[in-house]
Amino acid sequence: MSAESTRTPEDLTYGQSVIVAARWILVLAGLGFAAWNPGPVWELRLEIALLLGLAAANFHVHARLLAQGPLPPRVAYAASVVDIAVVTLVVLAQRGPASEIYVFYFPAILALSVAFPGDVTATFTAVTAILYALVSPPASAGDVEALMSRLLALGAVALCGYTYRRIEQDRRVTAREPALGAGGDSRAVR
Amino acid sequence: MREISSATREAAEDIFFGQLVLILARWSLILAAAAHVLWGASDQATLLVAMLPLVVLMALNFYVHGRYLTERPVNPAFLMTASVLDLAFVTAMIVLGPGPRGFGSPLFILYYPLLLAAAFVYPRWFTGACLLAGMAGYIGACLATAAPFLEDGRQLEVLVQRLTVGAAMAGLGTYYWRIQRRRRAAVAGMNGRSQVHAQKRAS
Repeated sequence: MSAESTRTPEDLTYGQSVIVAARWILVLAGLGFAAWNPGPVWELRLEIALLLGLAAANFHVHARLLAQGPLPPRVAYAASVVDIAVVTLVVLAQRGPASEIYVFYFPAILALSVAFPGDVTATFTAVTAILYALVSPPASAGDVEALMSRLLALGAVALCGYTYRRIEQDRRVTAREPALGAGGDSRAVR
Repeated sequence: MREISSATREAAEDIFFGQLVLILARWSLILAAAAHVLWGASDQATLLVAMLPLVVLMALNFYVHGRYLTERPVNPAFLMTASVLDLAFVTAMIVLGPGPRGFGSPLFILYYPLLLAAAFVYPRWFTGACLLAGMAGYIGACLATAAPFLEDGRQLEVLVQRLTVGAAMAGLGTYYWRIQRRRRAAVAGMNGRSQVHAQKRAS
């Protein structure tokens, strides 16, 4: 079993509180911005239904996290899929490239990058980028450029979150094994 | 007194160990900005002028990254100055272009990785200062180029949305940083207790 896989369950435990916090931000900010200059009634109805559903699910996750500990990894991954899907659906409902809601991908990707293993984070980031490019197809050269910047920044957020998580893992290992850590280079991020 | 020096040491260690995140965030910024400049510049003069600050930023990051790799990292004050320069660079690109400027510029998202990296690495006061500087810089950049969003409610909403997500990135980064600090403290506590037990058993 690799070091990565042995460390992951503990990271998932602590990382889930960041995911829950990010989801609360998505719900509260989403409701606030949905009410500010609302679009057509069907769009508003869809946004409110999605956000209330997400709030109910997050309440369950939050309560469970406080009372019984974290969700199993598969359920946590599924919950993050729902987060990304909700943002994507709202982008789609707001006519893709015209929508500004894509900024909410950033907190979601940040949260999962500090909670999930590297390969899962990479998969989530790639799928999110592809989904966003599909629902928001560029119509002009300027749109291509904007899309490129957004996807690069999304990747940068995932990379920063993942790298920081690995640095902290190494620091904890060094703190647990002072005799080994004294001679080791704990800055190395593999 | 000992508590204060311990906190100071921990903050210095956070910067020492975490600076790789800052370096990677800056490389991402350089990559995105280079793509934007190469794609968006309409004539030779614009392209050359826009590439100049980018080359300076690359040289700066080569220096910081090189020092990190050779295990002689730059001091915290230098890193903090570099982070402020990163934010200023993004703001300048939003104001000056190439491509759409001010509110219409797609480059505001480049603040997000920078704010996140700052939240992971720096003390809270500096993260807060970076967030405020970034927000003020972005609002200033929008106002300096044109201010249609003050009259258009929809654009004002979008501006607040962008700022809210920036604050969320810094806030979530700081939250995770605090979790990690508690985890390290718990590990150090366990380590200290097991050493005391070992000494007792030996005696």
